[in-house]
Amino acid sequence: MNFPPEAPLLDVRNLRVSFFTPDGVVGAVQNVSFSIARGRTLALVGESGSGKSVTAYSLLRLVQPPGRIVDGRIVLRSQRAGEIDISHLDEKSGLLFRVRGGLVSMIFQEPMTALSPVHTIGSQIDEAILVHQDVSPAAARRLTLEMLHKVGIANAAQRYAQYPHELSGGMRQRAVIAMALVCRPELLIADEPTTALDVTIQAQILGLIKTLQREIGCSVLLITHDFGVVAQMADDVAVMRQGEIVERGSVRAVLKNPQHAYTRTLLDALPSRRARVM
Amino acid sequence: MKPDTPSPLLSVRGLTKHFPVLTPGFRRRQTGVIKAVDDVSFDLAPGESLGLVGESGCGKTTTARCLLRAIEPTAGVTLFRLPDGRTVDLARLSDRELKPVRQHAQMVFQDPFSSLNPRMTVRDIVGEPLVIHRLAQGADLDDRVSAMLARVGLRPEHRSRYPHAFSGGQRQRIGIARALIMRPSLIVCDEATSALDVSVQAQVLDLLKELQRDFGLTYLFVAHNLDVVRNFCDRVAVMRKGRIVELAATRDIFTAPQHPYTRILLSAVPSPDPDVKMNFNVGEELAKLDALTG
Ligand SMILES: Nc1ncnc2c1ncn2[C@@H]1O[C@H](COP(=O)(O)OP(=O)(O)OP(=O)(O)O)[C@@H](O)[C@H]1O
Ligand SMILES: Nc1ncnc2c1ncn2[C@@H]1O[C@H](COP(=O)(O)OP(=O)(O)OP(=O)(O)O)[C@@H](O)[C@H]1O
Ligand SMILES: [Mg+2]
Ligand SMILES: [Mg+2]
Repeated sequence: MNFPPEAPLLDVRNLRVSFFTPDGVVGAVQNVSFSIARGRTLALVGESGSGKSVTAYSLLRLVQPPGRIVDGRIVLRSQRAGEIDISHLDEKSGLLFRVRGGLVSMIFQEPMTALSPVHTIGSQIDEAILVHQDVSPAAARRLTLEMLHKVGIANAAQRYAQYPHELSGGMRQRAVIAMALVCRPELLIADEPTTALDVTIQAQILGLIKTLQREIGCSVLLITHDFGVVAQMADDVAVMRQGEIVERGSVRAVLKNPQHAYTRTLLDALPSRRARVM
Repeated sequence: MKPDTPSPLLSVRGLTKHFPVLTPGFRRRQTGVIKAVDDVSFDLAPGESLGLVGESGCGKTTTARCLLRAIEPTAGVTLFRLPDGRTVDLARLSDRELKPVRQHAQMVFQDPFSSLNPRMTVRDIVGEPLVIHRLAQGADLDDRVSAMLARVGLRPEHRSRYPHAFSGGQRQRIGIARALIMRPSLIVCDEATSALDVSVQAQVLDLLKELQRDFGLTYLFVAHNLDVVRNFCDRVAVMRKGRIVELAATRDIFTAPQHPYTRILLSAVPSPDPDVKMNFNVGEELAKLDALTG
């Protein structure tokens, strides 16, 4: 599919998501707009509870009741499937299945969301491949082992046969990352992908995401609390607070010269810039 | 030991935990053993914060869980001094002896999602330890829960909600409130602030410090964020592959690291300055280190 080169891969316009709870309506995402160019990385940072994860879920239409997208457009300009307005797809449509399974992949904040406790790590990644790609089980297994190795899991063959609870938090997250990348998505959504990892594995995973991004030209929406990760990974950054984007710009501009008071509050709270806690 | 050195709150010697490696399926055969924790020893002085850092999977959480007997250690001694002055070996207490001791040593978990019961309201989750240990009921219980929620920055109307209605960071605060409500002497924080935005993280760290001052709390602080550890801890233990490779005062660890692994770890911290490029190549350096040390 051909789009004008300047047309972004993803356009989110006036997105609103609300939760209709017995205690009232929670406006989790209020009028959020942003776009991500092909091959670029946008970091979404901000307050805990400001709607970053809900925004990410919306892109895959994974917001669960009592939550619902109440307004807005989510346009994905896919090389493989053309222009799709994700926000208006029918729940049962084949396109939504394609969006979820291959065009857009998500790494969740909590690895167990993506993993079944009763299947081995390897069989789950095999399954993700087999559902969306036309390959033999043996080929899927080869791809899985290769991917486990790529994300830095030593003894991939042994780990393949282990259950999620037998892995450390960090190893589980690497397995999830392997599962998300194995289908070569056009957009990778990573919600706190390395929060559970030590910095050496974080460095390797971030490096891997960068390499893969170059290799298949995918765009990345990176949600993180770590401004170090933002500075090293992203081209652009959007700062969220209470359901809204309060500041947006290039990473260098926002980190070096923040305009909004809330962005400054966040940057001042960085542990490396704060006085020692006494 | 100098005569005026306070005796440690916790003294860990030779702590070891092995997990069997099993084949998959229904009848699982053991094919080997993972030495998750391998002869770990350290002391915790009362009122100090000891950081525990290191590679994912190196055994930090397993160490913490063995200490508090959430799982059974394979070997080792963990002497814990109770508020009444008695010292017990946590590793050897029976379940019945353990129950009254547990209130003095609490854990805040790495993973706020699976550690909170999804069918309980926030009020019940936070109040449960008080109920289990019969320390409060009725209006007193309600008051203490509300006060603790306020201290960790949650609003009163959050009390009747279930965990799924909260963001990751909000859930983490619920876990902290649940641990703190027991007024324990030892708190093991396992990635307790990693899900929080930096501003809330700063508030929670300040809160933990304030409570430490007010109640003489001692922390074992497991974290991946080295900037946070540097900011919060008095001493730091660096773990790799089940063992402590270096334990020193925080300043020394960060300004004069002795072990090559510690140096690699520090080099991988991403700088929030986009003009200071981080080291993505730590994988190779770690492989070299392993080749050298076998
Ligand atoms: N099922 C639900 N019912 C009611 N409110 C909800 C529900 N799920 C989420 N919310 C609310 O939506 C808001 C946004 O949550 P979200 O998980 O997107 O935050 P976040 O920015 O990802 O935070 P964090 O950085 O802590 O992960 C929060 O205030 C949360 O309480
Ligand atoms: N129940 C279990 N059965 C088998 N192996 C286990 C079990 N729990 C942990 N392990 C193994 O023990 C080792 C240490 O795991 P642990 O969770 O303590 O690491 P960690 O240092 O906390 O890592 P992270 O920083 O990723 O949380 C890992 O190799 C892990 O796979
Ligand atoms: Mg979130
Ligand atoms: Mg852990």
